[in-house]
Amino acid sequence: MVLGGGVAGTAAALAASRGGASVTLVDGGTGASTLSTGAIDDVPWTEAARPLAALTPGARSLLDALAAYAVPDAGARVATTAGVVRSARGHDLALLDLGPLVGRRVGVVACDRPEWDGAALARAWGSDFASLEATLLRHVDERLLPAADFAARHDDPARLAWLAERLREALDGAAGSRFEALLLPPSLGVERERARDLSARVGLPCGEVAALPGGPSGLRFERARDRALAAARVERTLGRAASVLRGGERWRVLLEDGRALEASAVVLAAGGLIGGGLAYTPGDAAEASVLPPAARAPFALTLDVPAAALGAHGRPLEIPGSLFGTPPESLAWPFATDALLERVGVLVDAEGRAAPDLYAAGELVADAARTWLRALESGLRAGSAAAREGLTRAAERSPSAPLAPASRA
Amino acid sequence: MAIAEEPLPYGADELDVAILGGGVNGTGVARDLALRGLRVVLFERNDLAFGASGNSSGMIHGGVRYLSVAPHVTEQSCRDSGYIQSIAPHLLFRLPFLMPVKSSRQARVMFELIDAYFRAYDDYQPLKRGKPHTRLDPGELARLEPGLRGSIVGGITFDEWGIDGARLCVLNALDAILHGGRVHVHATVETIARVPGADPRGPGARYVVEARDRRTQERLRVRTRAVVNATGAWSPITAATGGLPQSRVRVRPGKGIHVVLDRRVTNYGIVSESIDGRQIFIYPWQNVSIVGTTDDDYYGDLDEVHATSEEVRYLVQGVARVFPAVRAARAIGTYAGVRPSLYAYGPNEDALSREHAVIDHAADGAPGIYSMIGGKLASYRIFAQELSDLVAAREFDSTTPCSTHARPLPGGESVPDAIALAERYAVTPVAARRLVYRHGGVAPRVLERALRRPVERHVVCPCEPVLEAEVRHVVREEMACTVDDVARRTRLGLGACGGMRCAARCGQIVAEERGLSPGQGLTLAKEFLLRQARTRIVAMGPEQARQEALALAHARASMGEP
Repeated sequence: MVLGGGVAGTAAALAASRGGASVTLVDGGTGASTLSTGAIDDVPWTEAARPLAALTPGARSLLDALAAYAVPDAGARVATTAGVVRSARGHDLALLDLGPLVGRRVGVVACDRPEWDGAALARAWGSDFASLEATLLRHVDERLLPAADFAARHDDPARLAWLAERLREALDGAAGSRFEALLLPPSLGVERERARDLSARVGLPCGEVAALPGGPSGLRFERARDRALAAARVERTLGRAASVLRGGERWRVLLEDGRALEASAVVLAAGGLIGGGLAYTPGDAAEASVLPPAARAPFALTLDVPAAALGAHGRPLEIPGSLFGTPPESLAWPFATDALLERVGVLVDAEGRAAPDLYAAGELVADAARTWLRALESGLRAGSAAAREGLTRAAERSPSAPLAPASRA
Repeated sequence: MAIAEEPLPYGADELDVAILGGGVNGTGVARDLALRGLRVVLFERNDLAFGASGNSSGMIHGGVRYLSVAPHVTEQSCRDSGYIQSIAPHLLFRLPFLMPVKSSRQARVMFELIDAYFRAYDDYQPLKRGKPHTRLDPGELARLEPGLRGSIVGGITFDEWGIDGARLCVLNALDAILHGGRVHVHATVETIARVPGADPRGPGARYVVEARDRRTQERLRVRTRAVVNATGAWSPITAATGGLPQSRVRVRPGKGIHVVLDRRVTNYGIVSESIDGRQIFIYPWQNVSIVGTTDDDYYGDLDEVHATSEEVRYLVQGVARVFPAVRAARAIGTYAGVRPSLYAYGPNEDALSREHAVIDHAADGAPGIYSMIGGKLASYRIFAQELSDLVAAREFDSTTPCSTHARPLPGGESVPDAIALAERYAVTPVAARRLVYRHGGVAPRVLERALRRPVERHVVCPCEPVLEAEVRHVVREEMACTVDDVARRTRLGLGACGGMRCAARCGQIVAEERGLSPGQGLTLAKEFLLRQARTRIVAMGPEQARQEALALAHARASMGEP
């Protein structure tokens, strides 16, 4: 059983399923993966060193299953709405990879939407970029529509064809300046990326910039995940887990709506602070007029898993010497570097194991770099190990039963 | 005092009065003197309202605490509160307070005393268009403010006015400019020296004031007849710059912090008592709630005043006694300032006088130099008038009377209807409402920008909300030079998302308007995000921790480490 439907949980479920386990994924809703911007990293991009680390074959095959991302060997370059062109290990296929376009003229398509001042962004991104006046909005409401809703309109093939015509017109109108690619605001589809179709129709590479959190890229991840999990016949349950407790040989997972599920192995992938798997728990946060009820470690899992220990820097969290909690100045950037807020999580071994048959993956893992590809790889490791261990246990429990699933592992 | 030895370069400006400090006292004096026809120049080391004025409780109160010891101060405060309300009607909002009386052995007597006290205050309320106090039983209190807890025997209400202190400073500075004054922000005065050979008793300029623009390193130099030191807690530093004894302008710097909650969590202001018996408050203010304040002697760097989590917990604990939900509310930030209280060694901080004094440095051999010490936001206008009366009469033989109480501040002439503006200029009504609050009668002029360039209708900061037109307006017309400065004037980036969605865009706009490179614009955005993160983390609670993690992850992903 996998708790969490983000990148880590999806990778764990796919890996466990490939390992021969029958998998249920419990999805509690939006988290950091749904808020992702479309640039994918293995290490934070400002710390990326050359040569880039190669993808593991396992990660490569999971990305193939998702069929929504490109991770070129040479890495990628994407533009952000903060006015930065940054390196990335890979990108959502809807994003324009500027890596191969260095020194070529990229048109920044003007669009009357709040997050988008094409001319200012073109100046900020550098001399390769120039603004291109074009019509992107077809209806007046699109000026203020959230980016993801606007992008969804281009899932309609007729609308995409209309957009391609407008872009062709704009290019013809700007015949003096030869553009070799077009950069658009986050707008190119939600069901699937429509950048390839658009590029084919326009005759130039077209793609998006990295979005603000809550843009279409996060939704495209969810669609890609849904397709991949369905193809792998992973069972899905909507709901939030409340507790994961030992029930004899198996784990009992209690959901908040009262349902109880059982599994031989559990992967915790409910996200970190952003996703809601972890909570910051200062002693004085409860509604109280007198003393806070108890001194508590500054962070806690939001679901009750007695078998998992929280920690950071390789050691468990401690209860602070104050009922009011640890001073936040010592927990978080910019006061503290390498701060607990960014490192806290479930303590695990090299395979992602927090306890026998209990794994953690993604942002819930202590001391892990909180990047998209790390989440994928930790999910992959935990899912594979959970399948292996879970099937072995199942076989031990019923030695006479046929070993068909285990032989697949 | 030094003598300026080099001859002045050709064309050096000669003006009447140089004012040091862009807080409410400095800008108030600049406006007052400019309205009297004097040529003024104001230098501000950081930004307008950077210090105490922009970090106060944001109230124009009537001085109720002076009622028993100095009723004339209360009367004067109330009258002045009325004046401020009439010159900037758009900027003031009614802020009714509840004062619950907790049950104790003396509760009945206390209640009667408080009731009588506020009955006396009622006599002055009409001066500021305030409503008389009312007396509430526990049931009425619970209906008005259901979050009140604890054993309460009753309470009273009293009426005050809220204000955006930073905007008040900006409006005073703008009006000074409109009347021929000059204002230099981010310009620190480095020397005040005598004009060589000037006759101290004769007419004409006596002092050379030299400042340095902290961004361009350009030197600014003016000659003036009078110099006004209105630098608040910085006053002793300023005096030393002019070779004057620091002890003459000694203040007792008192740090006060406020905690900002993400929404209006109470219907009214609520008075509570801290663990050491001080009066503290929680009150709704603009779109947020504010908890304040502390008062502690301060010895640190005046340019870097920050709240600590200790101070936050002290305040929250005090308010939780009567309003326990404050512990669970989401704090989205803090702000801190340093009061320039009159110096005294011995009394505890709260017992210090909030009155003000003018120091005439003629006694120090520097005729024409004056220092303004003490004061408070609510009495800025009368303090500015006192000083201006003195300077105008003594240095310029001017008999032009003060008119700051009668002439409206820019935008205060008439307050347009926000909904009508929203329709006429096709902007969202909420944004129009906030724009009218901040700019009053100038709001249509801001919106005219959006008619010329429709993209400026867009909301840059969705939390407040702030339109692109307003950001460009405050950069172009209100001397904003950084994202910080824009935030001070518009509250951009000070809402629940902590600038995550607006800082980078605002940096681009500031860069564009000021002719900076896009990279410099990004740096301004990063500086703002870093500064704001420091003020937020100290008050971080469970929900805000999620937001901090998201904001940091997003900033790193889109621009690198802020």
